[in-house]
Amino acid sequence: MNGGGSKLRRTAAIVGVGHTDWAGDYKAAKDGKVRTDAAGLAAISFVDALADAGLRKSDIDGLIVGPPTSYERMGEVLGLDVKWGGSADAVTSVAQACMAIECGFAEVIALVYGNDQRSAGTQYGGPEAMGGDAFLSYVYHAPWGLTSQGALYAMLFQRYCQTEGFDPADLGHVAVAERAWAALNPNAIMRTPITLDDYAASRFIVEPLRLFDYCLINDGGVALIVAEASRARKMAQQPVFIESIGRHDLNQGATSLELRLTNYYLPAQQAAAKASYDIAGVGPQDMDLLQVYDSFSVHVPLALDGYGYCERGEAGKFMREQGIGPGGKLPLNTGGGHLSESYMQGWAHQIECVRQLRGGCGPRQVEGARFAHYTSDIAGKAFSIIYSK
Amino acid sequence: MTMTEPVQTPRRVRGIYHDKFWASVAERRMCLQKCRNCGTFRYPAGPACHACLGLDYDWQPVSGKGTVVSWVTYHRQYLPAYPAPYQVIAVRLDEGPIFVSNMADPSPSPRTPDERVEIVYVDMPDGVVLPRLRSAAR
Repeated sequence: MNGGGSKLRRTAAIVGVGHTDWAGDYKAAKDGKVRTDAAGLAAISFVDALADAGLRKSDIDGLIVGPPTSYERMGEVLGLDVKWGGSADAVTSVAQACMAIECGFAEVIALVYGNDQRSAGTQYGGPEAMGGDAFLSYVYHAPWGLTSQGALYAMLFQRYCQTEGFDPADLGHVAVAERAWAALNPNAIMRTPITLDDYAASRFIVEPLRLFDYCLINDGGVALIVAEASRARKMAQQPVFIESIGRHDLNQGATSLELRLTNYYLPAQQAAAKASYDIAGVGPQDMDLLQVYDSFSVHVPLALDGYGYCERGEAGKFMREQGIGPGGKLPLNTGGGHLSESYMQGWAHQIECVRQLRGGCGPRQVEGARFAHYTSDIAGKAFSIIYSK
Repeated sequence: MTMTEPVQTPRRVRGIYHDKFWASVAERRMCLQKCRNCGTFRYPAGPACHACLGLDYDWQPVSGKGTVVSWVTYHRQYLPAYPAPYQVIAVRLDEGPIFVSNMADPSPSPRTPDERVEIVYVDMPDGVVLPRLRSAAR
């Protein structure tokens, strides 16, 4: 058995997408104005997604909600009683929706997410660092000053450069490319282009990672409507099918950072990638664009390596010579990603996959896109989703 | 914070097994659990052996020796006890597990991969004993 959701191939499609005006909310937050809360951001997105899909609330028979908002509270706010309900992060929500649909629990499932991290002052490091109940490594080493998820990636990157021969200066290609894509995206928060020199001059936060290596912290919401395939074909928008899903989790040695400092979770990425490529009968060479979960820039070279886009240890060379920005060989995080568009914990990356495959992204459109690849590796839990027309 | 209150060491994670680990540290004799069935050491402390699922173990004092694997330097402050700049180091203990700590003085100092270090015990301002590191010959 090779794993992977082989039964889910083209079971379901995304038929509607919606999101908040995160750029507008970012400006408002800077001016001390808070327009709504996390549930409100999700609700606005849900209404937007329903309109995009040409559906009514009564068409929805499933609901999956992304943390930090709770499933039940969102169901209450939206007035939704459903046949399938759950609480899951972005990529797991898509997988769960496909599974619920394949099993016949529901046919049209809303996936909603709202996060008020900026206006609520969510702490990702320090005495009130969040996430420790799920990931012990986020809090266990605090007595010695190791706090903040960025520091965990900084520790990984320091070792990665040692063993893989990656030149730290090449990491700047990620921030530069994502900002260049954001400059073409009217929805993005940070749109002023930056250069490799700007990157190299930016201050260290937790060395070796710099300011430009860290994702945004902003308020926003995203909603996706996932429908059973035959229903999807009858809806307002061209459906974007979930072609295949691969997943592999590495849990051993999580807290002591064993894997972060030895195999960089690459075996999880390779296994998830293989499962998704094998089910769909495609490979990295067939992908027209790649969206990488990027809370830190380091995720990108790791993904190029782990998901099969370059040879082991060649991610720096790949970014330098092939290019991941506009005009590059591999369009990556084409909306600007977590670094420059919006930090929606992977949710907005799904929207970008959908929009690129529908067409109509204007200056950032990847011409003739047929396959969009979404990859995420959060602490060694690796997913690979291939979307197609 | 008043002048009489010492800066707090960031919170240690509590639990049946973690507490025993920290008790060994307070005695300046840091111990790790060694599985009685297969001999695997584990860290952080926990209820079962990840290698063989054995529930029986012995608390074994570590040799204190290890090899540097990686390090980071903080340029901003997140915790009252750790003003910037400071360094955090990941060490592979000779017993096997990776142990995250600092040099006895956590201010940044030059590091090299595979550098040898050994554990020393430091008294934090609030009385917590913390296992930290110093350079070792071999």
